[in-house]
Amino acid sequence: MPSEERKKEILQKLYDAVVNMDEDAAKEWSQTALNEDVNSYEAVTKGLAAGMGKVGELYTNLEYFVPELLLCADALYAGLEILRPHIKVDKVEVKKQIILGTVEGDIHDIGKNLVKVMFEAAGWIVHDLGADVQLHRFVEEQKRINADLIGLSALMTTSMLAIPKAIEMLRADDPATAVIVGGAPLTLEIARSYGADGYAKSAGEAVKEAIRIVNLKK
Amino acid sequence: MKWNERVDALLKNEPIDRIPFFTFTLGFCAKNVGFPISSIYNNPEKSFYAQLWTQEQYGYDSGPFYGYASYGGAEFGGEIKLPNGEYEQAPSHGSFAVYQEEDMKKLAMPDVKKAGFIPLAMEFSHLQKKHNVPVSLVIGGPFTIAGNICPVETLCRWIIKKPEVARQLIKLATDHIKDIVNYWVETFGAGKVSLQIWEPLASNQIISPKQFEKVVFPYVKELGEKFISAKIRSTLWHICGEQNQNLRYWAEVPMGKADIVSVGREVDITTAIRNFGSKCIIAGNIEPAFIQTGNPHEIYELCKITIEKGKLAPRGFILMPGCETPVNTPPYNFYTIVKAIKEFG
Repeated sequence: MPSEERKKEILQKLYDAVVNMDEDAAKEWSQTALNEDVNSYEAVTKGLAAGMGKVGELYTNLEYFVPELLLCADALYAGLEILRPHIKVDKVEVKKQIILGTVEGDIHDIGKNLVKVMFEAAGWIVHDLGADVQLHRFVEEQKRINADLIGLSALMTTSMLAIPKAIEMLRADDPATAVIVGGAPLTLEIARSYGADGYAKSAGEAVKEAIRIVNLKK
Repeated sequence: MKWNERVDALLKNEPIDRIPFFTFTLGFCAKNVGFPISSIYNNPEKSFYAQLWTQEQYGYDSGPFYGYASYGGAEFGGEIKLPNGEYEQAPSHGSFAVYQEEDMKKLAMPDVKKAGFIPLAMEFSHLQKKHNVPVSLVIGGPFTIAGNICPVETLCRWIIKKPEVARQLIKLATDHIKDIVNYWVETFGAGKVSLQIWEPLASNQIISPKQFEKVVFPYVKELGEKFISAKIRSTLWHICGEQNQNLRYWAEVPMGKADIVSVGREVDITTAIRNFGSKCIIAGNIEPAFIQTGNPHEIYELCKITIEKGKLAPRGFILMPGCETPVNTPPYNFYTIVKAIKEFG
């Protein structure tokens, strides 16, 4: 076990690697964490994921944009690939789950992918159905998984019309299904009119809004 | 005034009877006349008539045009999928010409007479000429075309990790735009061609203002100079999305007196006037999602407010949606905009 000071240094390096978009450093310090017996769960949550949390803030504050966010996510995943297999299952709390997808008729998935990164960094299990997802697939996946939340994304004004239809189909099956929506043409007003439980303007705000919705549904 | 007289007078900075309304309608017109939405993109004749008839029905001021936002995908060797589903309105990418740096070696400058959808666009322009509709060419800006040659995520990563590769791609897109503009001018004559340059991917929803300065601004500036020297009748710079932090750069792009800057809902009309108003005509910025989901009273009010703001533009104003009018817009909502422009314009 490393000293507290050394452990703190390793966690800070992992955090910095993500914030600084440094994939090589993320790999190097994840391996160092393993070699020096830093608890892998802690290395992920207090190092890599904490770094991604900061990235979300920078994105929300318009200091980081999509290019930076993508490279931070690359660093995050590079580190996770090394550390994840070593996380001891008994130390893992029951994780929240989200089913994510860009709705039918829409192939745009950058926003949805950024949202996925933020949820994974926050420790959620993400079931990513991809883009141009047929609406019945959301219902089928929810039946199979019983996730805490469904996340629906659309970039086009035409495809966003699939969102209320998807919500209607999900609620027909289970009226308590919680849904968060997002995407360029959507607004809070439109989200409300579609019957969504919440709306996130950007990837940086999605997890906070998701937690609010899930807590309300308890 | 007839619609084309009104627009012509505005471009020439002569008096007009009212503010024009450019509708940015494509799939909406196909649906309106009972054609498949895909016909707007793969059948120049149906596309032209769907737009002409819809214009006749509502009485607005923009003539038929041919264009789509994923332009450059097919022209550089990728695949484009035409819209056919219930929730689709525009062509989208099936595959890209470039996924990794090695693919750049295979990339060649498109033959502007044969590549992708260009022959259809040319056929459409001949229909424009035949029917005395101003000849137009609609293409993406250099960054948007680059983001159609390779996935946007790849382009974004390259901006930071491999800026020389990103620049190479954007330069290629810039040179292609010059080529195709030359082709149109050679075919229809100097002063006879209007352009629309759509640059949505350069918005701050994707890249930062600093990145814009480095990888977009030099190329659009180069194009602005080119369009002036090629004697383009008018260029409509469609800069939709969150562009507020890019406006100071756009304001430095060389533009002709008949050029138009069209903005989305994110850029207030008063802000647009402050940045471009003395230099060119301002167009915008009714939110398409609102046209689709809002009620007629709200849309009428929004148009009224927007028109009042636009009237203060020194070089003139065009009422226009912030981006394409959604295909499923309720017809009465659309008519409401026409009503508002006729009453307040």
